[in-house]
Amino acid sequence: MKTLGYGLKQGMKNIWQNRLFSLAAIGTIATCLFLLGIFYALLSNFQHMVYNAESTVGITVFFEEGLPQEQIEQIGDQIKTCKTVEKVTYVSAQEAWEKFQKEMYSDEGALEDTFGDENPLKDSASYEVYLSDVSNQESIVRTISDMEGVRKVNGSSTVANGLSSFNALIAYVSATIVILLLLVSVFLISTAVATGIRVRKDEISIMQYIGATDAFIKTPFIIEGVVIGLTGAIIPLIVLWFLYEKLIDFILAHFSVLSQWLAFVPVAEEFKVLLPLSLLVGVGIGFAGSAMSVRKHLLR
Amino acid sequence: MENSTPLIALEDVVVRYTAGTEALKKVNLSVGKGEFVFVVGSSGSGKSTLIKTLLGEVPVTSGSIRVSGKQLNKLKRKELPYYRRMLGVVFQEFRLLEDRNVYENVALAQRVIGVSNERIKKNVSIMLDMVGLNDKSRDYPQELSGGEQQRVAIARAMVNRPGILLADEPTGNLDPNNSWEIMTLLEEMNKLGTTVIVVTHNNEIVDRMKKRVVTLHQGNLISDEAQGGYVQ
Repeated sequence: MKTLGYGLKQGMKNIWQNRLFSLAAIGTIATCLFLLGIFYALLSNFQHMVYNAESTVGITVFFEEGLPQEQIEQIGDQIKTCKTVEKVTYVSAQEAWEKFQKEMYSDEGALEDTFGDENPLKDSASYEVYLSDVSNQESIVRTISDMEGVRKVNGSSTVANGLSSFNALIAYVSATIVILLLLVSVFLISTAVATGIRVRKDEISIMQYIGATDAFIKTPFIIEGVVIGLTGAIIPLIVLWFLYEKLIDFILAHFSVLSQWLAFVPVAEEFKVLLPLSLLVGVGIGFAGSAMSVRKHLLR
Repeated sequence: MENSTPLIALEDVVVRYTAGTEALKKVNLSVGKGEFVFVVGSSGSGKSTLIKTLLGEVPVTSGSIRVSGKQLNKLKRKELPYYRRMLGVVFQEFRLLEDRNVYENVALAQRVIGVSNERIKKNVSIMLDMVGLNDKSRDYPQELSGGEQQRVAIARAMVNRPGILLADEPTGNLDPNNSWEIMTLLEEMNKLGTTVIVVTHNNEIVDRMKKRVVTLHQGNLISDEAQGGYVQ
């Protein structure tokens, strides 16, 4: 406990003495974690929107002509057991015909003249199947196609795949940028700590002569790194908290056309992940950077 | 004063540096508890290597060193700090921390071993009294004379009450008056029971103090006299 108290005091002193390097390290970590926050917000919002979009991208399952209602229900039950199937809606032939009429012809009289009471879509009863993960669509389509009594399955794989690929692309690009910045941060912290070690070389040597343990000597430098990392994490979190809501308000105000399908994740929801993630990454790189430097420069 | 079991015992100690230089050549030396020993010799004789070896800073190439019952060449890295707590060390260049005052310089030795602040206050005050610097406890090293700085260094070395005090050229940077004061102080520590080993070039002091004198020459121990003088 005394070692920790001493370490904390000396660690803060180190940061102040190397304030230029410390500031550079804090700045880089803050930038890195700010970007991480932006990417995370982008990604989670995009996923949120994709999720909403996915719920409207369905699979339509048609049956063989004259298939008894009982067997149709059995197919429905089978579909429900498939993985990632979230919702299965039955659309009867009558409903399909009414929907078609509404969408295609506003003049009801014209259709009645042609078809009378006959339903031209009498064999077009179907299931609309909605998935929780749109990337599974292709395999689900295959599975349903193989079911007995199924005539045709219509998927929208291009849209589904496009959404999934775009999602993955954002994830890869942001991960690459964040990892590169994290490496720069580790290097900067390591340099800041190494400078501190060089400045305090005499003190370290005296402490070694008078019987200081490795832990006693290392603790201030490890604390220095962790405090730099933690500060670098807290700053972007505060900025993001205020910026996020302002940005959403701005987007909704200036791009009202898109507001119908732009469904944003609330800031508190974002921070449930972002807060522990940023703090963990900040402390982690702070610890890693200083530990690296301490191991390299303090070994006797 | 020498006991039957020596406090420090060197047997056939060889220290060879990586460059191949043999700094100590089969040195045998035994120092009893409470002894005061001068180690003298010209530059390159191995005096400082002897101190560094006793501090565990330079490894023994062959032979054995036993200090307070601890076999130095078998000491593990993590045991070294605890071994060093049995020793106090004073250097020619004082090695005080310029950014800390006299009190903090001495207190550092206590902080390192985890003494409570309350005890530190008491112990440092006693120690500064002993070296005659209690009135300068808030001064910084650069505000002190060379002799005063060395006294702070001695206080730092002694505050943890080590059994052995190693002094490497403690008067090397001091004028004759201050040198004599420092030697008197070391003698006082010795009288309190601390075993003192002083490496020095200062022939006047060695001749005047009439203590045991061990002479090294090119890594060999060439003389060991109970009440010796400086051998040129």
